[in-house]
Amino acid sequence: MILPLGPMHPAFKEPLRLKLKTRGEKVLSAEIDYGYVHRGIERVMTGKTWQKAIYLSERVCGICSYIHTQTFAETFELISGERAPLRAQFLRVLTNELDRIQSHLLANSTYFKALEHETLFMYMLYLREPVMDAIELLTGNRVNMGWNVVGGVRMDVDDTHLQKVRDIINNLESEYDKYVEMFEQGPLVGLRSKDVGVMSKEDAIKGRAVGPIGRASGLKHDLREDHHTYRDHLDFNVIWRKEGDNFARTMNRFDEIPESISLIKQVIDNLPEGEVRKKIDIGAGYGEWRNEAPRGEVTYMIETNGNLINNISIRTPSIMNIDSCAKYMLQDAATVADAVATYASVDPCVACAERVVILDEKEGKKEFQGIHNIKYLK
Amino acid sequence: MSSVIWYLYEFARKSWAEKFADAKSGHDIVERPARFRDFPEVFKEYCIGCGACTAACPAPGAIKLVRDSDTSETEGLTYPVITAGACIRCGFCAEVCPTDPKAIECGENHLIREEFTILPVEKMFVIDDYLCIRCKKCMNACRVEGAITEEDNKIVIDQSKCIACGDCLKNCPVKGALKGIYISNVEEQKRIINLAVQKLEKAIEDNQDEIKVLPADKVLKMELPADELIEESLQILNNEEMVIDLIEKVTDRLKLRVITWDEEKCTKCRLCLEDCPSGAIIYDEEKGVKRDPDKCLRCSTCYQTCPFGVAGYYIAKFLLKRSPEEDVILITLKASNLPI
Repeated sequence: MILPLGPMHPAFKEPLRLKLKTRGEKVLSAEIDYGYVHRGIERVMTGKTWQKAIYLSERVCGICSYIHTQTFAETFELISGERAPLRAQFLRVLTNELDRIQSHLLANSTYFKALEHETLFMYMLYLREPVMDAIELLTGNRVNMGWNVVGGVRMDVDDTHLQKVRDIINNLESEYDKYVEMFEQGPLVGLRSKDVGVMSKEDAIKGRAVGPIGRASGLKHDLREDHHTYRDHLDFNVIWRKEGDNFARTMNRFDEIPESISLIKQVIDNLPEGEVRKKIDIGAGYGEWRNEAPRGEVTYMIETNGNLINNISIRTPSIMNIDSCAKYMLQDAATVADAVATYASVDPCVACAERVVILDEKEGKKEFQGIHNIKYLK
Repeated sequence: MSSVIWYLYEFARKSWAEKFADAKSGHDIVERPARFRDFPEVFKEYCIGCGACTAACPAPGAIKLVRDSDTSETEGLTYPVITAGACIRCGFCAEVCPTDPKAIECGENHLIREEFTILPVEKMFVIDDYLCIRCKKCMNACRVEGAITEEDNKIVIDQSKCIACGDCLKNCPVKGALKGIYISNVEEQKRIINLAVQKLEKAIEDNQDEIKVLPADKVLKMELPADELIEESLQILNNEEMVIDLIEKVTDRLKLRVITWDEEKCTKCRLCLEDCPSGAIIYDEEKGVKRDPDKCLRCSTCYQTCPFGVAGYYIAKFLLKRSPEEDVILITLKASNLPI
């Protein structure tokens, strides 16, 4: 039988319909329907100046909103041929890594919620809260920060801010291990996720899985390696695993948090002096820039006439990850509960996936059904 | 039963009674961080009603200008109203507000330095130095300090300060000295201008017979209905205000030169052939001297060369006349006063 989950469902954070083809309790395959929260945000952004559009770009995604503004600003810096001052680049890394930590902790907490382990779910949120406070301390807001501008960041930080962030990070580091151990060594929690929702490396390549989902399946691919600030000034390791199951995905996110903590410490120790913002003259042109969001690769393609945005296209990681989840991970799940947990382990962000209008060229009609119908990714 | 007794026992305690008597909610634990950016705050008494905030806002429906009704003593105030449901708290309205003190304030972190503010509108105002008479009426009408200045006996607009309210254009006494240019949809604007010029040329060419018999001291007047042109332009760019503005500007400044060709007078001397710079005039033994209108530059060299008056040279001017019933483009055409 076909078991529909959603679009409104207590296990999902955002509206999306999951059609599970089941025989008894066993899940045979799955299909995903998008289109419940489509907002046409790229259409709203065209014809606006970058000052207006940057505020809209951080509203593409509700959780990893920060990286969208950074990628937007860096695309414009690419078009103009200049880079932000070094201090601004370091501050971007600082906020980006704080944002990554909170996003990973939230993703894992929802996974534990899907596993019905509510204690661990609450513990993860308890760990996340001080990180949100650190973001709020630096930028003034918790989610939509409005911190990036083309040519740098909006505000400078001083020593008291950095000291508070360091305290929060140290505190997180000392408390963090014991909660990871509960999941990693716990006999029941871990067993629920080992060998569930396995995606092989070949399938991950076929489904274009990115971010921690791809890395958990053995794709050693992290765009931070190519980013100029990380490459030239900071050291970090790419975390990856081979198993490709729910456990690997969750542990991959857990293991990335210490790397982010070490990056934050490097930034605080080596923060260079100087300006945080400089005036950049943007010429007409086209630019394309990629960055590593907490969920994977975010790409911005912008065409501008020097003042207004002529055309903009955003590619977010969730659309690939959710799609590869439906195609490869949800095959042969033992129970429906496992299927829900597998879906949660992908860390789906429906809001960022849904910027698309699906047009059927042949019949000239609009519809929102199935990713395979997409003609224009826009 | 025992639980009821426990409850009674609990209620009978003095400390419970004391707590119950002065029960109050605890202090507010929510602490506002130093850099917190709240919804914008409006001080309506400072507002000059320029509308820069509404033009700058990226969120649809978040901000609009309203005006209080007048009372017997005072005139009603104009001020922006912010809808909290649509506002995204970007603070852009506060950033572009030109008043001092600011009519809109939005958190400490939005006091952006002056050098970073950039024109947030679709229209740009420029001064044509050739036509400007330096009356300084635009400067006096400008509401923003330092947006229009005088430098080296020239009037200059500082684009980083201009809020594009359009007051300077209203006060300018010379037509064309101050121009409001749309900086968006440049390609579409070009296409509309081309379309307008083609239409006007065609309208004149249809009346060739009348032009040929026009005496040198008379003016020919024609009317061309503009509705068709406006409708075609709206298909290129669906913005009526912009299209009308463009056509008005085109008709205002355009001067079309018209060349007529009277073959009956031609004696095939072929003097014009050598002088034509674009090769638009061709000689054929059977057909005689021919002019190709597509290649012709309307430079009037043939008109000045021909001793028999084969080529005629006229100048056409246009004006868009708007009325509620029908929009009409008035065309006036007269013979050029160039010496033969």
